[in-house]
Amino acid sequence: MSVTSIMIAGVGGQGLVLLTRVLAQTALAAGYDVKSGDVVGLAQRGGMVWGSVRYGEKVHSPLIPQGQGDFMIAMEALEGLRFAHTLKPSAKVFLSKYRILPNRVLIEKDEYPANIPLLLGERGLVVVEIDAEQMAVDLGNRRLSNTLLLGALSVELPFSKDHWEDALRENVPPKTLDLNLVAFAAGRNAAAQSHPTT
Amino acid sequence: MSQRIVLTGNQAIARGFWEGGGSVAASYPGSPTVEILETLKEYPEVYSHWALNEKIALEIAIGGSLAGARSLVSMKHVGLNIALDPFMTFTQIKTNGGFVLVVGDDPGLSSSQNEQDTRALARFAKVALLEPSTAQEAKDFVVAALHMSEEYHTPVIIRLTSNLCHSRGVVELGERIESPGQGFVKDQARYNMLPPYANQQQHFMRERLLRLAELGETSPLNRYEPREGSACLVITSALPYCYLMELNAPVSIMKLGLSYPLPLAHIKAISANYRQVLVLEELMPHMESELQAAGLCVYGKEYFPFTGELTSDEIRAGLARAGVPVEAPPLAPNPISTPLRTPILCAGCPHRPVFDVLREAKVDVIGDIGCYSLGILEPFEVLNTVISMGASLGIIQGVAKAHRHAGISRPLVATIGDGTFFHSGLSGFADLAKTTENITVIVLDNHTTAMTGGQDTLTTRSYLKDDSRYGMSIMEVLKSFGIKDIQEIDQFHVVKTKRLLAEALERDGLSVIIATRPCALNFKVKNPHFLVDPKVCIGCRRCVKVNCPPISMLMYEGQQKKQSFIDPAHCVGCSVCSQVCPVKAIKSSATLKGQEVQP
Repeated sequence: MSVTSIMIAGVGGQGLVLLTRVLAQTALAAGYDVKSGDVVGLAQRGGMVWGSVRYGEKVHSPLIPQGQGDFMIAMEALEGLRFAHTLKPSAKVFLSKYRILPNRVLIEKDEYPANIPLLLGERGLVVVEIDAEQMAVDLGNRRLSNTLLLGALSVELPFSKDHWEDALRENVPPKTLDLNLVAFAAGRNAAAQSHPTT
Repeated sequence: MSQRIVLTGNQAIARGFWEGGGSVAASYPGSPTVEILETLKEYPEVYSHWALNEKIALEIAIGGSLAGARSLVSMKHVGLNIALDPFMTFTQIKTNGGFVLVVGDDPGLSSSQNEQDTRALARFAKVALLEPSTAQEAKDFVVAALHMSEEYHTPVIIRLTSNLCHSRGVVELGERIESPGQGFVKDQARYNMLPPYANQQQHFMRERLLRLAELGETSPLNRYEPREGSACLVITSALPYCYLMELNAPVSIMKLGLSYPLPLAHIKAISANYRQVLVLEELMPHMESELQAAGLCVYGKEYFPFTGELTSDEIRAGLARAGVPVEAPPLAPNPISTPLRTPILCAGCPHRPVFDVLREAKVDVIGDIGCYSLGILEPFEVLNTVISMGASLGIIQGVAKAHRHAGISRPLVATIGDGTFFHSGLSGFADLAKTTENITVIVLDNHTTAMTGGQDTLTTRSYLKDDSRYGMSIMEVLKSFGIKDIQEIDQFHVVKTKRLLAEALERDGLSVIIATRPCALNFKVKNPHFLVDPKVCIGCRRCVKVNCPPISMLMYEGQQKKQSFIDPAHCVGCSVCSQVCPVKAIKSSATLKGQEVQP
């Protein structure tokens, strides 16, 4: 009875809840049991947010036990680093290059870590770096970066194109659907052509 | 074929109320239960009301129930403290229409000021308490609670925790079964809780609790899951049940959905088959104490944490300490050390200039609950106490009197938002109106309940100029209390705000400053962005001290030291940083463009 666990990390306002919702709906449509968790306390105030999606024949807990995550979407690089310990040693990380400086870095009490992909790689994690923010801006809306990263992750998951598209259709504002589908495809392409660093 | 969809715990509660024929619902927004009423608003058959506070919300649901309607009230755990007064007396009444009180506890305090355990209040109020473990159960338990409430004439509490509220699971949908009430039917003995009527209700409540305990003995809400060969029984409820199942530990499980009152006879009978009985519960040893009082030898908090959210890793460790042969955990890597990410006010937030002015004034500030509670954090640290909703207005009077007694003479400031003003600030202000102490209250009227996602307040209308909404003017309300020293200010005029505060601090008696800038998240500011001229910037960090997400220090090319930088993609053009800059190094991109065309 195996369960696949996906960790999602980011900063409040990046659209993390949309990701967990779309992932969970897609997994259900594909015939799996699914649970997801979002920690969104002070999310809108620039705090850290994280979510988990777990699917399989039977899922008990929405939370991923330490070291049991199979994949991670890190919408912000530092948050990817923060949650690295939730992953299995050989897990794959879809890492946005985007950086949002935390408050303590803004006020110069901490430094933003350099070389995050390298630090993750040292752990044995397989890192797929994606310039999601820039690609989203190029597509016309920076808010598409979450859908883009989801597209990248989709390469690894056993769900059909129809299931993904149905879930996106139900969850994004109708007038942004076409752009979201374009962003999803761009993410898929980026992941398929990537050369992961380990 | 029935429909299965993915819902959060909160959405499932709302769906359950709809399916169960619910028709009157009320709430006051508070994390983690905000989404319940927001979801109920999507069902036209349900009247859904954002009340001004939890007490009023609970009273609306009481009214619905008295008139025979199936009614629901939802709130966060600390909201029940405010609503406890009507609840403690309402519970004495033989409930008419099904009455469900949904409370969201917050183990780990992810968005709350304390970690109180609502289960203690079920015992206090002598009512049934249900604890769902999944979204499906959240839905089913609301329907069960409505029926239980009507059959046993009891209010029913459904206790959720933050994780269950926000996590999603698969839920099988059902149809709505209508349950129209018969309206209010006069019955003096039943609905008037004064002696002699209230005396006899003590016996009724005692009897009711005994009958509920009897129900629990056989109810499918409670489930015994024996495991062959196991010497250990774990009694548990809510999400810890799911975490335990995740571990697949060699234990038998008694899962309690109806966790107050406990099915003592059933638990006693099965406990006899085990060498060891453990109780696994988040927060207080609620079930553990009840079982121990009933003479059972059970252990719980000896092995499991008393604070925070439980995790399957902690449960595994606790079971191991208790001698249960659990599988060793897979080797989990240690967390990598990373800078903390604490919350920060949004770009364009109207609280920023007020905090800056308060810091400069170096006064003692009695804070309150809302987004502005973030003023306790670095780098501002201007709010010096935060306790509970509306508490600033009473506390400031006590501090002032204690100062007078001790011969200390210095001005005091309180801050309160518009949501909190209407929630529980009105009586505090009325009590404060005639003070002779040097007290200044800054009302941060951002025209919304910002912290919980932007629900309307009574001042939303005045900002939107939307006459279809009901609204009130805080200025007019305070004037009617006899308060004369009231001034309004758009705090984006930083210098003027600073002067107003300085003058108020000179005056004895109550001064009120109403800061009128709206919330930047709900009513977006989008002016041309500002930028730093590195030729002028002296790197003094004054702008960094206003602590705005786009402002950081940067080493520009060819410069000797760091100077400030504004990320143009996230600056909303509020201008506050440019107003505090001592050398005028920060300018609007619009002005600069203007200069380019007009050399």
